[in-house]
Amino acid sequence: MEIMKKFIIFKQGVLEELPLQLGVFPFGIIYGIMAIESGLTPMQAFLMSSIIFGGASQIAFVQLISNASPFGVIVTTVVAINSRHFLYSISMMEFLKNLSIKWRIGLAYLLTDEAYAISIRRFINEPNKSFIHFHLLGTGITLFLSWQISTLTGVLLGGDLPQFLDLQFIIPLTFIAIIVPMIRSISTFLVVIASAFSGLILKNLDINFWVIISGIIGVMIGIFSAKLDKKI
Amino acid sequence: MIWAGIIICGVITFLIRFIPMSGIISKQLSTSTKNSFKYIPLAVLTPIIINDLSIIQNNTLFFIENYKLYAGLIAIVVSFITNNILATISIGMASYLIMSNFIII
Repeated sequence: MEIMKKFIIFKQGVLEELPLQLGVFPFGIIYGIMAIESGLTPMQAFLMSSIIFGGASQIAFVQLISNASPFGVIVTTVVAINSRHFLYSISMMEFLKNLSIKWRIGLAYLLTDEAYAISIRRFINEPNKSFIHFHLLGTGITLFLSWQISTLTGVLLGGDLPQFLDLQFIIPLTFIAIIVPMIRSISTFLVVIASAFSGLILKNLDINFWVIISGIIGVMIGIFSAKLDKKI
Repeated sequence: MIWAGIIICGVITFLIRFIPMSGIISKQLSTSTKNSFKYIPLAVLTPIIINDLSIIQNNTLFFIENYKLYAGLIAIVVSFITNNILATISIGMASYLIMSNFIII
Protein backbone atom coordinates (compact mmCIF):
# COMPACT_ATOMS: atom_id res chain seq x y z
CA MET A 1 0.00 0.00 0.00
CA GLU A 2 2.77 2.39 0.95
CA ILE A 3 4.62 1.51 -2.22
CA MET A 4 1.55 2.45 -4.26
CA LYS A 5 1.29 5.83 -2.47
CA LYS A 6 4.97 6.53 -3.13
CA PHE A 7 4.61 5.54 -6.75
CA ILE A 8 1.53 7.77 -7.24
CA ILE A 9 3.34 10.82 -5.82
CA PHE A 10 6.45 10.01 -7.87
CA LYS A 11 4.31 9.68 -11.00
CA GLN A 12 2.63 13.02 -10.29
CA GLY A 13 6.07 14.62 -10.16
CA VAL A 14 7.04 13.01 -13.46
CA LEU A 15 3.81 14.05 -15.21
CA GLU A 16 3.93 17.62 -13.91
CA GLU A 17 7.57 17.94 -15.01
CA LEU A 18 7.01 16.59 -18.53
CA PRO A 19 5.61 19.77 -20.19
CA LEU A 20 8.78 21.65 -19.20
CA GLN A 21 10.86 19.30 -21.30
CA LEU A 22 9.64 21.11 -24.42
CA GLY A 23 11.96 23.92 -23.36
CA VAL A 24 14.64 21.86 -21.63
CA PHE A 25 15.30 19.49 -24.53
CA PRO A 26 16.35 22.12 -27.12
CA PHE A 27 18.42 23.79 -24.40
CA GLY A 28 20.28 20.51 -23.81
CA ILE A 29 20.90 20.04 -27.54
CA ILE A 30 22.28 23.57 -27.80
CA TYR A 31 24.58 22.93 -24.85
CA GLY A 32 25.85 19.68 -26.43
CA ILE A 33 26.63 21.41 -29.72
CA MET A 34 28.30 24.37 -28.04
CA ALA A 35 30.41 22.09 -25.84
CA ILE A 36 31.85 20.23 -28.84
CA GLU A 37 32.43 23.48 -30.74
CA SER A 38 34.30 24.95 -27.78
CA GLY A 39 36.80 22.10 -27.90
CA LEU A 40 35.55 19.69 -25.25
CA THR A 41 35.74 15.99 -26.04
CA PRO A 42 32.36 14.21 -26.41
CA MET A 43 33.02 12.46 -23.09
CA GLN A 44 33.71 15.74 -21.28
CA ALA A 45 30.65 17.39 -22.84
CA PHE A 46 28.37 14.50 -21.92
CA LEU A 47 29.67 13.81 -18.41
CA MET A 48 29.54 17.50 -17.49
CA SER A 49 25.76 17.16 -17.68
CA SER A 50 25.76 14.66 -14.86
CA ILE A 51 28.70 16.06 -12.86
CA ILE A 52 27.52 19.70 -12.76
CA PHE A 53 23.90 19.13 -13.85
CA GLY A 54 23.07 22.82 -14.27
CA GLY A 55 22.08 24.08 -17.73
CA ALA A 56 22.93 27.77 -17.61
CA SER A 57 26.18 27.21 -15.72
CA GLN A 58 27.28 24.51 -18.20
CA ILE A 59 26.70 26.85 -21.14
CA ALA A 60 28.66 29.59 -19.36
CA PHE A 61 31.43 27.06 -18.66
CA VAL A 62 31.87 26.09 -22.32
CA GLN A 63 31.66 29.71 -23.49
CA LEU A 64 34.43 30.67 -21.08
CA ILE A 65 36.54 27.65 -22.14
CA SER A 66 36.22 28.69 -25.79
CA ASN A 67 37.39 32.21 -24.81
CA ALA A 68 40.39 30.69 -22.99
CA SER A 69 39.27 32.28 -19.72
CA PRO A 70 41.28 31.69 -16.54
CA PHE A 71 40.30 28.76 -14.33
CA GLY A 72 39.28 31.05 -11.44
CA VAL A 73 36.90 33.02 -13.66
CA ILE A 74 35.18 29.82 -14.81
CA VAL A 75 34.68 28.50 -11.28
CA THR A 76 33.48 31.89 -9.96
CA THR A 77 30.99 32.22 -12.81
CA VAL A 78 29.56 28.75 -12.24
CA VAL A 79 29.22 29.49 -8.51
CA ALA A 80 27.51 32.82 -9.25
CA ILE A 81 25.02 31.23 -11.63
CA ASN A 82 24.21 28.31 -9.35
CA SER A 83 24.11 30.34 -6.12
CA ARG A 84 20.32 30.61 -6.36
CA HIS A 85 20.14 26.88 -5.65
CA PHE A 86 21.27 27.70 -2.12
CA LEU A 87 18.02 29.58 -1.59
CA TYR A 88 16.04 26.75 -3.18
CA SER A 89 17.65 24.32 -0.77
CA ILE A 90 16.89 26.59 2.22
CA SER A 91 13.21 26.69 1.30
CA MET A 92 13.13 22.90 0.85
CA MET A 93 14.90 21.98 4.08
CA GLU A 94 11.84 22.24 6.32
CA PHE A 95 10.01 19.69 4.18
CA LEU A 96 12.92 17.28 3.92
CA LYS A 97 14.53 17.57 7.35
CA ASN A 98 13.28 14.20 8.58
CA LEU A 99 14.71 12.25 5.65
CA SER A 100 17.86 10.17 5.90
CA ILE A 101 21.13 11.69 4.79
CA LYS A 102 21.15 9.43 1.70
CA TRP A 103 17.80 10.85 0.58
CA ARG A 104 18.91 14.43 1.17
CA ILE A 105 22.12 13.86 -0.80
CA GLY A 106 20.13 12.43 -3.71
CA LEU A 107 17.48 15.14 -3.69
CA ALA A 108 20.09 17.92 -3.34
CA TYR A 109 21.79 16.61 -6.46
CA LEU A 110 18.45 16.74 -8.34
CA LEU A 111 17.56 20.24 -7.10
CA THR A 112 17.55 22.27 -10.32
CA ASP A 113 15.38 25.23 -11.39
CA GLU A 114 12.74 23.22 -13.18
CA ALA A 115 12.43 20.46 -10.57
CA TYR A 116 12.28 23.00 -7.74
CA ALA A 117 9.75 25.21 -9.50
CA ILE A 118 7.30 22.35 -9.90
CA SER A 119 7.83 20.58 -6.57
CA ILE A 120 7.93 23.59 -4.23
CA ARG A 121 4.35 24.41 -5.15
CA ARG A 122 3.27 20.92 -4.11
CA PHE A 123 5.38 21.08 -0.93
CA ILE A 124 3.81 24.40 0.13
CA ASN A 125 0.26 23.24 -0.62
CA GLU A 126 0.67 19.85 1.07
CA PRO A 127 3.46 20.32 3.64
CA ASN A 128 2.50 17.41 5.89
CA LYS A 129 1.66 14.86 3.24
CA SER A 130 3.49 11.55 3.66
CA PHE A 131 6.14 10.65 1.09
CA ILE A 132 5.94 14.14 -0.49
CA HIS A 133 9.69 13.88 -1.23
CA PHE A 134 8.84 11.34 -3.93
CA HIS A 135 7.39 14.27 -5.87
CA LEU A 136 10.78 15.97 -6.01
CA LEU A 137 12.32 12.61 -6.91
CA GLY A 138 9.89 12.39 -9.86
CA THR A 139 10.50 15.92 -11.12
CA GLY A 140 14.26 15.63 -10.57
CA ILE A 141 14.71 12.27 -12.33
CA THR A 142 12.56 13.38 -15.27
CA LEU A 143 14.68 16.46 -15.72
CA PHE A 144 17.92 14.52 -15.25
CA LEU A 145 17.04 11.98 -17.94
CA SER A 146 15.81 14.64 -20.35
CA TRP A 147 18.99 16.67 -19.82
CA GLN A 148 21.29 13.68 -20.39
CA ILE A 149 19.46 12.55 -23.56
CA SER A 150 19.29 16.06 -25.02
CA THR A 151 22.95 16.71 -24.24
CA LEU A 152 23.93 13.46 -25.92
CA THR A 153 21.79 14.39 -28.94
CA GLY A 154 23.59 17.73 -29.21
CA VAL A 155 27.01 16.09 -28.84
CA LEU A 156 26.22 13.58 -31.60
CA LEU A 157 24.45 16.13 -33.80
CA GLY A 158 27.22 18.75 -33.92
CA GLY A 159 27.09 21.44 -36.60
CA ASP A 160 25.33 24.78 -36.53
CA LEU A 161 22.98 25.92 -33.83
CA PRO A 162 19.39 24.95 -34.65
CA GLN A 163 16.76 27.60 -35.23
CA PHE A 164 14.37 26.54 -32.50
CA LEU A 165 16.09 28.51 -29.75
CA ASP A 166 12.90 30.34 -28.92
CA LEU A 167 11.47 27.16 -27.40
CA GLN A 168 13.50 28.18 -24.39
CA PHE A 169 10.82 30.78 -23.84
CA ILE A 170 8.82 27.94 -22.28
CA ILE A 171 11.06 28.19 -19.20
CA PRO A 172 9.95 31.71 -18.11
CA LEU A 173 6.37 30.81 -19.04
CA THR A 174 6.60 27.85 -16.68
CA PHE A 175 7.95 30.03 -13.91
CA ILE A 176 5.03 32.44 -14.51
CA ALA A 177 2.63 29.52 -14.13
CA ILE A 178 4.34 28.62 -10.86
CA ILE A 179 4.52 32.01 -9.18
CA VAL A 180 1.25 33.72 -10.17
CA PRO A 181 -0.90 31.43 -7.99
CA MET A 182 1.48 32.16 -5.08
CA ILE A 183 0.66 35.88 -5.14
CA ARG A 184 -2.12 35.85 -2.58
CA SER A 185 -1.29 38.72 -0.25
CA ILE A 186 0.17 42.21 -0.16
CA SER A 187 3.52 40.92 1.03
CA THR A 188 3.85 38.35 -1.78
CA PHE A 189 2.87 41.03 -4.29
CA LEU A 190 5.53 43.39 -2.92
CA VAL A 191 8.12 40.59 -3.04
CA VAL A 192 7.43 40.16 -6.76
CA ILE A 193 7.67 43.89 -7.47
CA ALA A 194 10.87 44.34 -5.44
CA SER A 195 12.67 41.30 -6.84
CA ALA A 196 11.57 42.15 -10.40
CA PHE A 197 12.97 45.68 -10.24
CA SER A 198 16.16 44.68 -8.46
CA GLY A 199 16.69 41.76 -10.84
CA LEU A 200 16.22 43.99 -13.85
CA ILE A 201 18.63 46.62 -12.57
CA LEU A 202 21.32 44.30 -11.18
CA LYS A 203 21.39 42.07 -14.27
CA ASN A 204 21.84 45.07 -16.53
CA LEU A 205 24.61 46.40 -14.31
CA ASP A 206 26.39 43.07 -14.96
CA ILE A 207 26.38 42.17 -11.28
CA ASN A 208 27.45 38.51 -11.09
CA PHE A 209 25.17 37.37 -8.27
CA TRP A 210 22.11 39.27 -9.54
CA VAL A 211 19.65 36.43 -8.99
CA ILE A 212 20.61 35.72 -5.40
CA ILE A 213 20.92 39.42 -4.47
CA SER A 214 17.49 40.21 -5.93
CA GLY A 215 16.17 37.11 -4.19
CA ILE A 216 17.47 38.30 -0.82
CA ILE A 217 16.04 41.80 -1.44
CA GLY A 218 12.67 40.22 -2.28
CA VAL A 219 12.65 38.06 0.85
CA MET A 220 13.60 41.08 3.04
CA ILE A 221 10.69 43.05 1.57
CA GLY A 222 8.43 40.08 2.30
CA ILE A 223 9.55 39.96 5.93
CA PHE A 224 9.06 43.71 6.45
CA SER A 225 5.68 43.80 4.71
CA ALA A 226 4.25 40.66 6.30
CA LYS A 227 2.32 42.81 8.82
CA LEU A 228 0.38 44.44 5.98
CA ASP A 229 -0.99 41.11 4.85
CA LYS A 230 -4.62 40.78 4.04
CA LYS A 231 -5.97 38.36 1.49
CA ILE A 232 -6.37 40.06 -1.88
CA MET B 1 42.58 21.15 -16.78
CA ILE B 2 39.06 20.87 -18.25
CA TRP B 3 38.35 17.73 -16.24
CA ALA B 4 39.52 19.48 -13.07
CA GLY B 5 37.24 22.43 -13.85
CA ILE B 6 34.25 20.17 -14.46
CA ILE B 7 34.80 18.21 -11.24
CA ILE B 8 35.44 21.26 -9.05
CA CYS B 9 32.38 23.06 -10.45
CA GLY B 10 30.34 19.88 -9.96
CA VAL B 11 31.40 19.51 -6.32
CA ILE B 12 30.75 23.20 -5.55
CA THR B 13 27.34 23.09 -7.27
CA PHE B 14 26.39 20.02 -5.25
CA LEU B 15 27.52 21.67 -1.99
CA ILE B 16 25.47 24.81 -2.81
CA ARG B 17 22.40 22.57 -3.15
CA PHE B 18 23.19 20.27 -0.23
CA ILE B 19 24.48 22.45 2.64
CA PRO B 20 21.09 23.96 3.64
CA MET B 21 19.40 20.56 3.23
CA SER B 22 22.05 18.89 5.37
CA GLY B 23 20.38 20.38 8.44
CA ILE B 24 23.40 22.36 9.66
CA ILE B 25 21.66 25.71 9.18
CA SER B 26 18.16 24.65 10.23
CA LYS B 27 19.10 24.14 13.88
CA GLN B 28 20.21 27.76 14.27
CA LEU B 29 17.23 29.54 12.68
CA SER B 30 14.23 31.09 14.41
CA THR B 31 10.62 30.30 13.45
CA SER B 32 10.11 33.76 11.92
CA THR B 33 13.15 33.26 9.70
CA LYS B 34 11.82 29.88 8.62
CA ASN B 35 8.45 31.49 7.83
CA SER B 36 10.20 33.93 5.51
CA PHE B 37 11.31 31.00 3.31
CA LYS B 38 7.88 30.96 1.70
CA TYR B 39 8.94 34.10 -0.19
CA ILE B 40 11.98 32.41 -1.77
CA PRO B 41 10.30 30.93 -4.88
CA LEU B 42 8.75 34.29 -5.71
CA ALA B 43 11.89 36.27 -4.93
CA VAL B 44 14.21 34.07 -6.98
CA LEU B 45 12.04 33.12 -9.96
CA THR B 46 10.69 36.64 -10.60
CA PRO B 47 14.08 38.18 -11.53
CA ILE B 48 14.73 35.25 -13.90
CA ILE B 49 11.34 35.75 -15.57
CA ILE B 50 11.66 39.52 -15.88
CA ASN B 51 15.06 39.24 -17.57
CA ASP B 52 13.91 36.45 -19.88
CA LEU B 53 11.19 38.81 -21.10
CA SER B 54 13.97 41.01 -22.56
CA ILE B 55 12.53 44.25 -21.18
CA ILE B 56 15.97 45.87 -21.33
CA GLN B 57 18.13 45.39 -24.41
CA ASN B 58 21.37 47.27 -25.00
CA ASN B 59 20.67 49.37 -21.89
CA THR B 60 17.37 50.56 -23.38
CA LEU B 61 13.82 49.78 -22.36
CA PHE B 62 12.33 47.54 -25.03
CA PHE B 63 8.52 47.49 -25.23
CA ILE B 64 7.44 47.90 -28.86
CA GLU B 65 7.74 44.64 -30.80
CA ASN B 66 8.77 42.88 -27.61
CA TYR B 67 6.62 39.82 -28.22
CA LYS B 68 8.11 37.96 -25.27
CA LEU B 69 6.81 40.69 -22.97
CA TYR B 70 3.33 40.60 -24.48
CA ALA B 71 3.23 36.78 -24.40
CA GLY B 72 4.45 36.90 -20.80
CA LEU B 73 1.62 39.27 -19.86
CA ILE B 74 -0.90 37.00 -21.58
CA ALA B 75 0.53 34.03 -19.65
CA ILE B 76 0.15 35.96 -16.37
CA VAL B 77 -3.52 36.59 -17.12
CA VAL B 78 -4.08 32.96 -18.12
CA SER B 79 -2.34 31.70 -15.00
CA PHE B 80 -4.36 34.07 -12.82
CA ILE B 81 -7.64 32.88 -14.33
CA THR B 82 -6.97 29.16 -14.79
CA ASN B 83 -4.24 28.33 -12.23
CA ASN B 84 -3.19 25.68 -14.74
CA ILE B 85 0.46 25.16 -15.72
CA LEU B 86 -0.17 23.51 -19.08
CA ALA B 87 -2.74 26.14 -20.17
CA THR B 88 -0.38 28.95 -19.15
CA ILE B 89 2.57 27.48 -21.04
CA SER B 90 0.66 26.53 -24.19
CA ILE B 91 -1.32 29.79 -24.53
CA GLY B 92 1.76 31.88 -23.69
CA MET B 93 3.92 30.00 -26.20
CA ALA B 94 1.24 30.04 -28.90
CA SER B 95 0.81 33.80 -28.42
CA TYR B 96 4.54 34.32 -28.73
CA LEU B 97 4.91 32.19 -31.87
CA ILE B 98 1.93 33.84 -33.55
CA MET B 99 3.14 37.36 -32.75
CA SER B 100 6.76 36.75 -33.69
CA ASN B 101 5.97 34.96 -36.94
CA PHE B 102 2.83 36.64 -38.25
CA ILE B 103 2.78 40.20 -37.00
CA ILE B 104 4.70 42.74 -39.04
CA ILE B 105 4.72 46.25 -37.64
